Amino acid sequence: MKIKINMSSIFGFDFVLYLAIQFLMVIGIFFIYSSGVNSNGVIVSDEYIKQIIWVVTGNIILLVVSFMDYRIIKNFAFWLYLGMLVILLLTASFGKVVNGSKSWLGYGSLGIQPSELSKLITIIFLSFYLESNRKYIQTFRVFCTGLLIIGLPMGLILIQPDLGTAIVFAPVFLVMMFIAGARPRYLIMLSAAGLLTILFSMLPYYLMFMADSPGNALILFTEQSLMTVITITLGVISIITLIGYLFTQKGYFFYLTSFFSITAVSYFLSFFARKVLKEYQVMRLIVFLDPQVDPRGSGWNIIQSVTAVGSGGAFGKGYLKGTQSHYRYLPEQSTDFIFSIISEEIGFFGNLLIIVLYMLIFWRCINIILKSQDLFGSLIAAGIVGMIFFHFMINIGMAIGIMPITGIPLIFLSYGGSSLWTTMLGIGILLSVYHRRYKNVN
Amino acid sequence: MSVRKHVNNGRVYLLSGIILIIIFLYIYKLFNLQIVDNLIYEKKAQQVSQRSKVIPAQRGKIYDRNTDIPLAMNVDSFAVKYTPGYGDRENLPDLIRRLSEILGVSEDELTRKFPDSRFFSYVAAEVADGVSFEKITLIAENIEDFPGISWSSKPRRFYNTSGSISHVLGYVGNITNEELQVLYNRGYSSGDVLGKSGIEKQYDHILRGKNGRIFNTVDVRGRQMNKEGNLQPPENGYDLVLTIDRHIQELAEKALGPRKGSVVVLKPESGEVLALVSYPGFNPNLFNQKGPNNFGVLSLNPDFPFLNRSIQSSYAPASTFKILLTAAILEDDSFNPNRLIDCTGSMELGNRTFYCHKKTGHGKLNLKEALAESCNIYFGTIGVENLGIAKISEYSHAFGLGSPTGIDLQGEVQGNIPSPAWKERTYNSRWTPGDTLNASIGQGFVTVTPLQLADMVAAIVNEEGKIYKPHLLKQIVNTTNKSVVEEIAPEVLRKTTISPRTMETLREYLRGVISDGTADVVILNDQVEVAGKTGTGEVGSSTNWHSWFASYGPWSEDNEKDKIVVITMVEASNEWEWWAPKAADIIYQGYFGNTNYEETIRLLRKRGVWYTRDIVLEDEVEN
Repeated sequence: MKIKINMSSIFGFDFVLYLAIQFLMVIGIFFIYSSGVNSNGVIVSDEYIKQIIWVVTGNIILLVVSFMDYRIIKNFAFWLYLGMLVILLLTASFGKVVNGSKSWLGYGSLGIQPSELSKLITIIFLSFYLESNRKYIQTFRVFCTGLLIIGLPMGLILIQPDLGTAIVFAPVFLVMMFIAGARPRYLIMLSAAGLLTILFSMLPYYLMFMADSPGNALILFTEQSLMTVITITLGVISIITLIGYLFTQKGYFFYLTSFFSITAVSYFLSFFARKVLKEYQVMRLIVFLDPQVDPRGSGWNIIQSVTAVGSGGAFGKGYLKGTQSHYRYLPEQSTDFIFSIISEEIGFFGNLLIIVLYMLIFWRCINIILKSQDLFGSLIAAGIVGMIFFHFMINIGMAIGIMPITGIPLIFLSYGGSSLWTTMLGIGILLSVYHRRYKNVN
Repeated sequence: MSVRKHVNNGRVYLLSGIILIIIFLYIYKLFNLQIVDNLIYEKKAQQVSQRSKVIPAQRGKIYDRNTDIPLAMNVDSFAVKYTPGYGDRENLPDLIRRLSEILGVSEDELTRKFPDSRFFSYVAAEVADGVSFEKITLIAENIEDFPGISWSSKPRRFYNTSGSISHVLGYVGNITNEELQVLYNRGYSSGDVLGKSGIEKQYDHILRGKNGRIFNTVDVRGRQMNKEGNLQPPENGYDLVLTIDRHIQELAEKALGPRKGSVVVLKPESGEVLALVSYPGFNPNLFNQKGPNNFGVLSLNPDFPFLNRSIQSSYAPASTFKILLTAAILEDDSFNPNRLIDCTGSMELGNRTFYCHKKTGHGKLNLKEALAESCNIYFGTIGVENLGIAKISEYSHAFGLGSPTGIDLQGEVQGNIPSPAWKERTYNSRWTPGDTLNASIGQGFVTVTPLQLADMVAAIVNEEGKIYKPHLLKQIVNTTNKSVVEEIAPEVLRKTTISPRTMETLREYLRGVISDGTADVVILNDQVEVAGKTGTGEVGSSTNWHSWFASYGPWSEDNEKDKIVVITMVEASNEWEWWAPKAADIIYQGYFGNTNYEETIRLLRKRGVWYTRDIVLEDEVEN
């Protein structure tokens, strides 16, 4: 293969990716500052200073990592993963309680969220595992092992409980498995089971809050004995159809067993989901469907955020001039709703600039998936793309009212050290992957 | 095998495609929010961050024509408010109990007015109004016991005189949701006080002024962000001066006494209403208090105290309608007024027999004598045989009967002047000569309001038969600099086409009724020569009748004094005393003698006027 001589190959460094990230982080600092300014124009929060420190230190991590050979991680990926599981367990047991969940580990005001870092470590270990088992990638065994690798940290984070962070594992897994070459039907079945579980969890609440008359359907989700009967019935049908499939190998048996087992599992899981989910979490989903159900309570955030974004107009109200944010109508302005304050102050065309920067990042990361010299590098890139894009989609989506509120920060823009460090570490690895794309070629 | 082939490019492109599609959907949504619907959200953002506090404008006062003492004014009063953000949520029931003791409002009622304390709001909500200064002092002295309680000035409307004038003035109340829906676009908002009836309602837009505002930008909890605010001072409402003379109003009210009915005293040469009495009346000051004068109790009273009988009730005019017939006969050449008609006490029409009120008959009468004796047979015969319903109707309309007088009060009814077509429409039956006969003597389908009758008499008195629009508003006065903003000029409502000669004759005839006719025994005042016509309305009872007296005085042009028209009407539901002409007589005596009711009665008694013997004055009861 021919070696092209250009800037990238000389420096072995993806300047586009690097600069796009820097640009976004600078914008982020400006708006974290803006979110800390109260209505009298006085800065009341030092978050922007902390963020500057995070950005600078994060850059050091990024640069150091990018000049190291990423392949050495393979040697201790398993131990990293194991250590992470222990830390997550510790966090869940002894963590500091912030905003109702034990997700912080640390001393005094210094602290990190291990759950953020766990995303990256899980991506690395899953990439390592999938590369080692690339020959069996289409098998059900590898699919299940992959699910387990993702499921353990996800479960530990759910215990904290930090629903927002935990949920990110799902798209990361799907994207990585998809790029690694897993059978699409497994992925589709998993997605279907996940969506059905959410649907079944919400349905009784939906019936209670939204429907004019709850009707009889409600007992399907509340009557203990009836639920047992339904679960068993669905389970038995699944097994019968599965046996039918194993004996006849007929396609329709496969679809029947898939359908019934997914329904059974989702129905069963939804029962636990409702036990675990807090009322405010369910209300968030309900008000996502109709914010006016509770305009001053759970629906408040959506209504205020959409108002902030919409009132920004084409060019925004100007930096530090957003009324919704400075008069404290927006909650969690520096993290979850950073996009609302940005939209209010720089408007539609400013948003376009931000979206273009993200598109550059996605483009360069996908480029790394394609150009990486090994599957390990490609899968890390895939996992990171999945992670960043999911954050992007959910966070901006909730700011403009088309996604439920889950408390997921907008990577690079939102205030927060752990997630920024994690992502910069990941990007560092990606730059290293990119840097080494031509070594050992042929 | 190339290492590059470790990923399936197709899958990567599919992933890229999904990402791209989602991003474009987001851009589309952002475009819709920020560009297409921008204005909606901009307004919304303004609304939540800008709150305004209303500075109420003073409602204008209402004076009578003497402009010395206001009839309606504002007295200092306070509204008590509660701000949940400053309150003590746990001890709210205690607070409500203490507050209920001071305010004298039940705890339940107070609890209902307290805002939902779940929200930690800094918006004050009104929990009570009409609170006196003394009670506010009590709260202020123990303010630490009342966390979250504050107060603000909310003037209360007070009416210095009540009774019959209340029908004219009306009353005010808090705006209802239904009213708000209609009036929202005219600048009314919830919590406003507005006129519900009478002058208060008719001229609400002048009286109410314009509320001022302080604009504040507030944060999510309603806390004020900029201290000074943006002030827009209130514009106080203008004062109104009415044509009513409260002395005459009082005289007329007392002359009518506790009898269901009404009195109109009108200046014919301008249409100014000097007194407009309707009994029973009400006292709007007592509406919000418990007891028999409470609004709710009054509105269920079978005597309809809210009904302004002078304009909102129409009755058969009875013999007073013969004034109109007389005008018609004089004007129309179908019948010679000097021709005699023989009244035998009854007449046959079709297969029915009609009787005169004098069963033995009046004998042979000409028009003047017929009017003086109020002979039904005379007018019935001419009505049926010579005039016919078409002409009666035509002359009635010329005098303004059957259409509203246009007085500046709401809810005026227009009475009824029937026609064959009207009867066909309403009762689906044919017009009969009997109907014409009834109409000729002011019975049957003919109905008029006392004010319409006053207009009819005014037309007879005025030059060229002019009728001025009766009105109550005389002046609009700017409260701040006491300058007259507008002086209401007399406005000609209509001009009858009756010749001055006919009118002159008619006036003589009407004087004849008093000097040597039916009313000569009751019109006994020594102040002025009155002309007029009594009426006794059949209501189907043999012991009770509506009693009318339509009159004016002084009767001739020789008298220098300004003429007034007095219409008195006493409903048949009262004991029969033939009171209407007597009430009018008292009014003439008092008005032209410049005496109040009590002095008038004493003067009349001294002169031995027979009907004053049974009158008991208020100050005599105590002794």
